[in-house]
Amino acid sequence: MSGFTALLRRDLSLVWRRPGDVGVVLAFFVVATVLFPLGIGPETNVLARIAAGVLWCAALFAALLSLERLFAADYEDGTLDLLLLAPWPLELAALAKCLAHWIVTGLPLSLLAPVLGVAFGLDGPSLLALMATLLVGTPTLSLIGGLAAALTLGARKSGALLALLALPLCVPTLIFGAGAIETLAAGDGIVTHVAILAALALVALATTPWAIAAALRQAGE
Amino acid sequence: MADLHFLANPARFRRFSQRVLPGLGFATALMLAVGIYMAFFVAPEDYQQGKTVRIMFVHVPSAWLSMGGYAMLSALGASLLVWRHPLAALMARAAAPVGASFAAVCLLTGSLWGRPMWGTYWVWDARLTSMLLLFFLYLGHIALSRAYDEPERGDRAAAILALIGVINLPIIKFSVDWWNTLHQPASITRLDAPAIHNSILVPLLWMAVSLLFLFVYLVLLRTETEIDRRRLENAEAAA
Amino acid sequence: MTPKRRRLWLLLGSLGTLGIAAALVLTALNDNLVFFYSPTQVAEKNIGPDRRFRLGGLVEQGSVQKEGQLVRFTVTDTNKTVKVTYRGILPDLFREGQGVIAEGSLGPDGVFTAREILAKHDENYMPPEVAKALKESGKWKDAK
Repeated sequence: MSGFTALLRRDLSLVWRRPGDVGVVLAFFVVATVLFPLGIGPETNVLARIAAGVLWCAALFAALLSLERLFAADYEDGTLDLLLLAPWPLELAALAKCLAHWIVTGLPLSLLAPVLGVAFGLDGPSLLALMATLLVGTPTLSLIGGLAAALTLGARKSGALLALLALPLCVPTLIFGAGAIETLAAGDGIVTHVAILAALALVALATTPWAIAAALRQAGE
Repeated sequence: MADLHFLANPARFRRFSQRVLPGLGFATALMLAVGIYMAFFVAPEDYQQGKTVRIMFVHVPSAWLSMGGYAMLSALGASLLVWRHPLAALMARAAAPVGASFAAVCLLTGSLWGRPMWGTYWVWDARLTSMLLLFFLYLGHIALSRAYDEPERGDRAAAILALIGVINLPIIKFSVDWWNTLHQPASITRLDAPAIHNSILVPLLWMAVSLLFLFVYLVLLRTETEIDRRRLENAEAAA
Repeated sequence: MTPKRRRLWLLLGSLGTLGIAAALVLTALNDNLVFFYSPTQVAEKNIGPDRRFRLGGLVEQGSVQKEGQLVRFTVTDTNKTVKVTYRGILPDLFREGQGVIAEGSLGPDGVFTAREILAKHDENYMPPEVAKALKESGKWKDAK
């Protein structure tokens, strides 16, 4: 466990020293979302209806943008070789990397999304629901994205390939995340959607660390 | 040592496939010819859908083969990762584009069937969406296996992806039962008798077997090519 | 702890996590996640006007009236019914007694105005003579 926290602390302090990397991701999220009202026009009821989908898609793209470097730096400077040789499970190392990624992207994106939601004319309960679904759903994106990042480690054109691999696997999370706000607008509760988002996150939590570890091992060979 | 092991099995496979392929190709052509004749001239029109029902004879077998093909891809992936079976990687490389083509045929014919019958080319219901995802998973597998300078790395990365993507298969199969979909539930793979009259069922199963032959033929042929290609690359690298 | 024991614990942790996920899905799954609502669900949910949704059911026997491009019919799930109006071209399979999915919204008078009509067909395939013979012999089993 001490290895887990050590790796997590290391990754977080690396980001802390270069906050610009996170800033770029958040700036992308804001700019991409703000383009929609400009492109579609100021009709508030149209904007409110598409808000959840737009914010979820933008969050997904923003999370993917920062994933390409998740293992690449460690792969290039030899840290990955040390992790492979370390006496504690690589699965936990994979989990620590994904958790660090979520803390620096998924978490701030979830907190930022309600602010942008105001610009789309979402009401109070919808803003809360948006934040709740993003908080429960973005860990899945980090885990699946981590898998795609590990699989494409050292590949040609890894950025586009990463998106091609990760996006289809993220579709269920996207459907239930954006669907929750739609059901709320229809007057139903969002408990079902949040429960399913949580279930998806747990499935990703249980499976992806093994796959990421396997992918890292074959990359290190 | 590793090189010898690599050559042993594929070489035996290649001798086997060279003996089988001509006969298999002939049988496939014959069966497809009979199947297409049955589908167009022998099978009756449906009581509700009329002539349009004939699209089923291509659509349904394509769906089965694309799902079966992905299951095979996962099995090949497992045998590559667990037993390091060298032929598995080459066969997966050969099978993925064939499976992807069947998935594409399934989506296209389904779309053409949906327009006159349902009144739309496409809806985002659970069955259609999960089938589209299967197609994307195939594309990911193809792209990933060919994205590395050392082909062995691509093989192993794609094998891991194939094992993860297998989650989608039960979702496709049971989507029509779990959710209210526009797509109708299963007619043949159900516990009581199939809901298809024999005069339509027989051509459908015949076409399914013919297209299975085509699938096997294409995969064997492409595997042979992959073996030759890998040999050539190894020879070039050694020279 | 030996590495082998550690991996065993990790595996147990993963299986436990999967179990919780399965339990969550099983408790959460209800009729919320559907492609369309049946007339009974529409009555229960009190869906307000101006909200677009999909309505699914069977076209009630003898309810179809055509006035030029305008079609009026009733959708039933044998329990409740909803009246529907639609202006436009109908799919081939649209007929009385068949499954249909309409997308649109309820008006203040409780009539559903459809913007799009999709026909749902069942999983039965047979030649017309067989269907006729089955109906005449009384062995016809209805879709539901």
